Amino acid sequence: MLADFRQSVSDWIFRAAVPEPPPVTLGQRRIFILPTRQGYAFALMLLLLLLASINYSLSLGFLLTFLLGSMAAVGLLHTWRNLAHLRIRPGRCDPVFAGDTAAFAVTIESPSLTRFAIGLRRRGEEPVHGDIRVEEPATLAIAVQTQRRGRIRCGRLEVFTRYPIGLFHAWSYVEFDLSILVYPRPDPAAGAPPNAGQDAGEEGIPIAGDEEFNMLRAYRAGDPPRQIAWKALAREQELLTKDFSATASSELWIDWNDAHAPDVESRLSILAQWVLKADEYGQAYGLRLPGTSIAADRGGMHRARCLEALALFEAPR
Amino acid sequence: MSARAYSPHLDIRNVGWLLASMLFVVAPHLLRLPYWVGIFFIVVVGWRAWISWSAIRFPPRLVVAAITVAAAVGTFLQYGRITGREGGVTLLVVMSALKLLEMRTQREVALSIYLGFFLVLTNFLFSQTIPLGLYLLACVWIFTGTLIGFNRMGGAPSVVERLRPAAALLVQALPLMVAFFLLFPRVPGPLWALPRDTQSGHTGLSDTMTPGRISELIKSDAVAFRVRFDGPRPPFATLYWRGPVLPVLDGNTWRADRSRELFGRYASASRRVRYEVIEEPTTRNQVFALDAPASPPSDAIVRSDLEIRTRRPITEARRYEMSSWLDYKYGVDEDPAVLREASAYDPERNPRTVALGRRWAAQTHDPHEIIQRAIQLYNRAFTYTLEPPQLDPRDPYDDFLFNTRRGFCEHYAGSFALLMRAAGIPTRVVTGYQGGEVNPFNGEVIVRQADAHAWTEVWLRGEGWVRIDPTAAVSPLRVEQGVNAALGPIGVVPTIIAADRLGVLASLRFGWQMINGDWEQWVVGYNRDRQRDFFSRLGYPSVDWRTLGFWLLIATFSIGAAVTIGLLVRERPQREDASLCAWKRYCAKLAAAGVARSPHEGPLDYLARVKAARPELAASAEEITRRYVAARYGAGASREELRELAGRVRDFRPA
Repeated sequence: MLADFRQSVSDWIFRAAVPEPPPVTLGQRRIFILPTRQGYAFALMLLLLLLASINYSLSLGFLLTFLLGSMAAVGLLHTWRNLAHLRIRPGRCDPVFAGDTAAFAVTIESPSLTRFAIGLRRRGEEPVHGDIRVEEPATLAIAVQTQRRGRIRCGRLEVFTRYPIGLFHAWSYVEFDLSILVYPRPDPAAGAPPNAGQDAGEEGIPIAGDEEFNMLRAYRAGDPPRQIAWKALAREQELLTKDFSATASSELWIDWNDAHAPDVESRLSILAQWVLKADEYGQAYGLRLPGTSIAADRGGMHRARCLEALALFEAPR
Repeated sequence: MSARAYSPHLDIRNVGWLLASMLFVVAPHLLRLPYWVGIFFIVVVGWRAWISWSAIRFPPRLVVAAITVAAAVGTFLQYGRITGREGGVTLLVVMSALKLLEMRTQREVALSIYLGFFLVLTNFLFSQTIPLGLYLLACVWIFTGTLIGFNRMGGAPSVVERLRPAAALLVQALPLMVAFFLLFPRVPGPLWALPRDTQSGHTGLSDTMTPGRISELIKSDAVAFRVRFDGPRPPFATLYWRGPVLPVLDGNTWRADRSRELFGRYASASRRVRYEVIEEPTTRNQVFALDAPASPPSDAIVRSDLEIRTRRPITEARRYEMSSWLDYKYGVDEDPAVLREASAYDPERNPRTVALGRRWAAQTHDPHEIIQRAIQLYNRAFTYTLEPPQLDPRDPYDDFLFNTRRGFCEHYAGSFALLMRAAGIPTRVVTGYQGGEVNPFNGEVIVRQADAHAWTEVWLRGEGWVRIDPTAAVSPLRVEQGVNAALGPIGVVPTIIAADRLGVLASLRFGWQMINGDWEQWVVGYNRDRQRDFFSRLGYPSVDWRTLGFWLLIATFSIGAAVTIGLLVRERPQREDASLCAWKRYCAKLAAAGVARSPHEGPLDYLARVKAARPELAASAEEITRRYVAARYGAGASREELRELAGRVRDFRPA
C-alpha cells in the first residue's frame, strides 16, 4: 500500500510529459536525486559514529565521521554527475511475434567521462544496466515478454544511476514515442497459403529455385537477401536481385475468408503463417482483410506491411 | 526475464574485496584481543570466501544464531561482561564476522561495509597515533573501493577502477572534513558513562607511594605532558613538576590528604615563569605545574599544599596556561594540624631509621644541620639504580638505609622523610616529574612518565616549606640532565638513539617528536578548549556554538560550491564556442589597449587594422586570428587546439 501511495505521489509530481523529439539531453533541471535506503542507513551509521566520537572524546573518530560524511556529500555530486548531460535517443524496436521477447532499445551517449552503471527501466519493471564510454554510444534494451498481438507502447522510461557509492539514486524520466509491434503468432499448422502458385499443384510448397530464373534487375530496398545475386556482387557488379519468373508471373491473394478458424485471433495466426510462407517462396502476394486490402507485392517491406496490418487488425489502439 | 542479470553482491571478486577489507581493519585488533578472537575471525572469513568461491550453501540461520550465542558467551567468559572496551570490541569483531555469513543481498553487503567503518572507529579506542591513523585511512580507502565495486552493475571493476574513484571521493571530501573537524561544535564527553577500562592504557602518578611504584612508571616512555615556555626556559635542575603531595605516612605507604582545600599565601615570591602545558589524558584530576604555581588554570584550584586539582577528570588531552614562581616562600604560618600530620610516624616500624633520626635531633637543634647530615649520608654510600634489591616488607626503610643502599627516588624520598620526622622536622613527600626532554626544533619540553620523580619538602620555622631532593645528593646527574643521563642505557629510549644525542638519528627523532607533538595537540587533542583557542587566534575570543554553526554553514556552502564547480567544469563537454570566448577576450584586451573592434569588422579586417596600429603585436595577433578563424570557420578544432588558442590569448599583452 505504501508502495502504491509512493507511486501515485511520484506520478503526480512527475506528471507525464508529452513524448519528446530525440535526442534528449539530461540537463540539470530534469535530474532528480534522493538518498537510497542504503543512504539512510549510512546516515544512521554516521550518527552512531558521531555519538561514539563524542562519548569517548575520539578526535580521530570525529575525523572519520566527517570524512565519511563529506565523502557521502561528494558522492551525491558524483552520482548526479554520472547522469548529467547524457544524450539519449530511441533505438531500434524490432517487431516480434506474440509470445516472443521484444526489446525497447535506447541509445545513450556520454559527452564526457565514462558513465558506469547507468540503469534503465520501465515503470515497475526490472532495470537493465550498462556502462557508457565516451564516444561509444551504448544501447540498453529492456526486454518485454509479449503475449498478444498489437502495439506495445514503451511509455515513460527512467534513466537512473546509483554509482559510485550507492547512497543516492539519481534519476530522470524520458519519454519517446517508442513502441513495439507484435505480430500475431503464426500458426504452423496452417501450412502453405491455399492456391499458392497454381503450377505448384496440390503438393503445396514449391521450393524456391524451382521457379524459372528470369532476369537480374537492380536491387530494390526490401528484396529478400535470398534473392540477391551474391555472385554478381562478388564480381564487383552493383547489387542485383534475381527475379524469378514463377514468382513474377503468378499472383497470390491471402484472404481472410480462406482462413477457417473459430475466432479472430486464430484466423490472424493462420494468415500470419501464410504471409511468412508466401514471403519465403518469394511469391508476390496480396492481403485481403475485412475493410482493407494490400496490393500484391513482395519483399521485406511488403511483408512487414502485411504483418502490421494483421497485428493491428481491429486492435484497440 | 530470460537472461539472469548480473548481481554484484554474488561476484566473488567483490566479496573477496569486502573480506580483505574486513581483515585489514580488524588486523590491529587481532593483535590486542585474545587469540581465539583472531582464529575465529579468520576461520569465519575463510568460510565465507569458500561459500562464494565454490558456490556452496550458506549455513542455516539457526547455525549462525548458535555460533552467535556461543561467541557472546565466549566473550563473557573472557571478560566477565560484554561491555567495556575489550569486551565490546571483541563482541563487535565477532558479530561483524558472523554478519558476513549472513550476507546474501546487496543490502546486507552495505550493512557489512558500514560495520567495517564502525570497526575503524573502534581502533581509535586503543590508539590514535599517526601510523595507525594512516593505516586506517588506507582501510577507509579500501572499503570505499569495495563499496564502489558493489555499485558497478556491469561486472566487478579492476583494482584501478576501484581505488582511483575511491581516492577521488576521499580527496574531494577532505576540505569539507577539515571544516567540520575545526568548526563542528565540540561537546565535552562523555555522554554516558565510560566503561571503566576505556582509558586503561594511560599510566601516571597515583596518590600513594610505596617503594617500587615509580620505578614501574619509569619504564614507560609515554608522554605525560608537554610544556612551552614564554621566554627562556629555566635551568634544567629547577624543573620540578609538582604533582600529588603525600603528607600521610600509613605504615610504609605515603598517601595524599585531600581534606584541606584552601590555598595559602606566599610570604614572598619572585622569578615568575609563564608557560603553557599540554597534558595527556590521565582520567585523574591532576594538573602538573612547575614548582610553585602562581595561578591555577581556569577550571582548577590550587590546594593548600600547592597541588593543583581540576574539577573534572582529564579524559582528553587539554592545554592550559600557567605561571609559576621559581623563588618563593610558602607556608611560613602553616596550620598546626598540617604540621602535626607532617610529623607523624609509627615508631614500631623501621626502628633503626627512627633511632638514627632521634639521635641526630639529640645532637643538634639546627634543622639545617640535620638535613645536611642526612644528605651526606646518602652522598657517601648510596647508589642510584632503577633495579633496587627486594626490601624487607615490614621495615623497608631500615633495610634500605642500613643494608642494600641501592634505590630509586622513592626510596630516597621516603627514607629521608621518615628520618626527618624522627628528628622532629615536619616533612612531606611530593611526587611529580623532574626535568624532561627539550626538543631542539621548537624548544618544547616533553615530560614523559619516565621522568616521574619523588622528592620531599621540609618545614622550617620562618622559611616555610623548603624543597629537599635527596636523590640529587646521590645522583646529581638525575636532576641536572635527566633520568637517561643518570641511568644510562637502561632507560627508556633505545640505546642507539640515546647514545647518539646530536646525530642524524637524534634529529630524526626530535623531528618526529615535533610532528607527533603537533599531532597530539592539534588533532588528537583538538577539543572544546582547543577549538576556542583556535578561534581566539582568529580574533574571536569567546566563540559559542552559534558562531561555530554559522561558520560551519558558510564553510559547507562555499566548499560545496567549489567542489561542485570543480567537478562540473571537468565534466562539462568542451564548449563549442570556446574559440569565441577566447576571441572575445582577445578583442577586450585590444580594446583596453585602444584598438577596439567595430561591430561590423570581421577577424581578418580587424587583424589588418591591429597590424597597422600596433606593428609590434602583429605576430601574436596574426597567430591568434589564424587559429580563431580555423577553429570557428574551418573544420573545427580539437580540445588541444582550443586550449592552445586560449593560452595564446591569455599570454597576449597589448598594453
